[in-house]
Amino acid sequence: MAYLATFHWGWLLGSLLLGFAMGWIAVVHRARGVSKVTSRWLAVLVAALVALALARVIPGRPGYWLDLGLVMFALYLAGCTVGSWLRDWVLSGHAPAA
Amino acid sequence: MHGLFRWSSKWWPGVIPLFVLWVLAAWTSTAPLESDLATRSSAVLKDTLLDKTRITAAGRDVTFAADAFSEEGRRSAVASVEAVPGVRLVNDDTRLVPEAKPFVWSAERDVVRVTLSGSSPLPASKAKLLDAARADLGGVEVVDQMNLSRGAPARFDNAALLLIDQVNKLKDGKITISDTEVSLSGMARELGGREAITAALKNLPDGFSVAANEIKAPPYIFQAYKDPVAVTLTLTGYVPDNNVHATIVAAAGRKFFSEKVVDNLKASVGAPSGFANAVVPALGALSRLSTGTLVVSDREVKLSGDAFYDAAPAQIRAGLIKDFPQGWQLKADLSVKPAAAPVDATVCQQLLSELLAKGTIRFVSGLSTLDPDSAGLLDHLIEIALRCPTVNIEVAGHTDADGPEGFNQALSEKRAEVVTDYLVKAGLPASRFTAVGYGSTQPIASNETDEGKAHNRRIEFVVKE
Repeated sequence: MAYLATFHWGWLLGSLLLGFAMGWIAVVHRARGVSKVTSRWLAVLVAALVALALARVIPGRPGYWLDLGLVMFALYLAGCTVGSWLRDWVLSGHAPAA
Repeated sequence: MHGLFRWSSKWWPGVIPLFVLWVLAAWTSTAPLESDLATRSSAVLKDTLLDKTRITAAGRDVTFAADAFSEEGRRSAVASVEAVPGVRLVNDDTRLVPEAKPFVWSAERDVVRVTLSGSSPLPASKAKLLDAARADLGGVEVVDQMNLSRGAPARFDNAALLLIDQVNKLKDGKITISDTEVSLSGMARELGGREAITAALKNLPDGFSVAANEIKAPPYIFQAYKDPVAVTLTLTGYVPDNNVHATIVAAAGRKFFSEKVVDNLKASVGAPSGFANAVVPALGALSRLSTGTLVVSDREVKLSGDAFYDAAPAQIRAGLIKDFPQGWQLKADLSVKPAAAPVDATVCQQLLSELLAKGTIRFVSGLSTLDPDSAGLLDHLIEIALRCPTVNIEVAGHTDADGPEGFNQALSEKRAEVVTDYLVKAGLPASRFTAVGYGSTQPIASNETDEGKAHNRRIEFVVKE
């Protein structure tokens, strides 16, 4: 994992920033969210992919692409979390003042 | 926390650019990642003893194929590739170097190259053998056809190095090690090479033995060429030692009464037995030819050239076969010199006198038996006698003054008769020759000195009109 981080830091940073931006927007976004049922299914899908990656059952290049995708997705989620949390903190900091 | 769940339901639109980003990342990074992993995997194996190493990466999975020289080495090589950062899985295609049974190695020499083939224990040994071959055999191409195998006998390298040294002494041939048995075949480059190889084989490392040594010595060559134009006898080739050398040169000096002996002989071991006993009579036969070549190759004697008269070839052939030691063979290719133009009596006498001034017809001391060394001179005399068919010739015997006069008289008569008989056997008509003995009555030099006596002991040819 450390190797992937050093070799692909540019792509990973991109994912993180993309997540951060998406998280930043999501707090004030008016669009419809994903339903609870769908998000559960998505969580199951991601868990299954993680399980495949950890079990190293997909060989060669597809296996590498899966690892890369999951790492990028994890950083995206982390970026989203931080972005949303920070936006919320900023907004809530302004709210009492306003 | 509740807020986080609410917000996360709206994170999905970013997944679309993330997907694009992922595709781009996968597209651009796969090949560099693979080559980086392959390079670093090869780097960790740099100091590991392996043969035929092949490393290929697909994604983060490395396929590692190699021949290892021990199970331990094989495992540690796989483990070190597994430990390379970034490698996810190692597809282990390694195996042990095959074991050769029997362990066979050989060095073969032909005219232009030396080929090393068979099995060699380790890359280092292989390199060492090749280097030794290149250093020893300067200028000869060295071809490497060696494989690496396990199962070499102890001290294999030392044995092989010693044998590479021996290859240098071969003209052509093959040296093979099969487990601990050494076999050799071929021909030594020089006389004495076979003996040198046999001696060197005694230094083989412990445990090695010679199963077969079939190295042949090159033929032992002696050559003599009688050149009637330059009036020389050229001796080339080998003689066994200085004694035989002196014997042969002395015999040549006696038998070739007018030719200058050019001695280019070299001493060398490896002569066939009976060498001197065969070469001396063969030189005698050559002296009876007008022009000719004598080639002694091992125990085969080839004599070719032109004899002086028709009866000579058969006489020469028969005489040689009788004189040869056991096991020697003669191949004679003799023809007869075309007859020279006839001459008149005066020229005939002149030619005979000139010839007898250069050489003397010799006999065994105190007897009337012709010395074989005089055969060449007699054949020359016969040739001249054949050129003057109309003249009669007196064959006159003379002795020195030693001993009783009666004995000397009888001896001189008998010797003159023996010479006449020889001429008649050569095909000259007996009626043309008169054998006369003068004893010691007509000295041409002082009988006080040995030298003078030697001059007085003579046969003269006197032309009678």
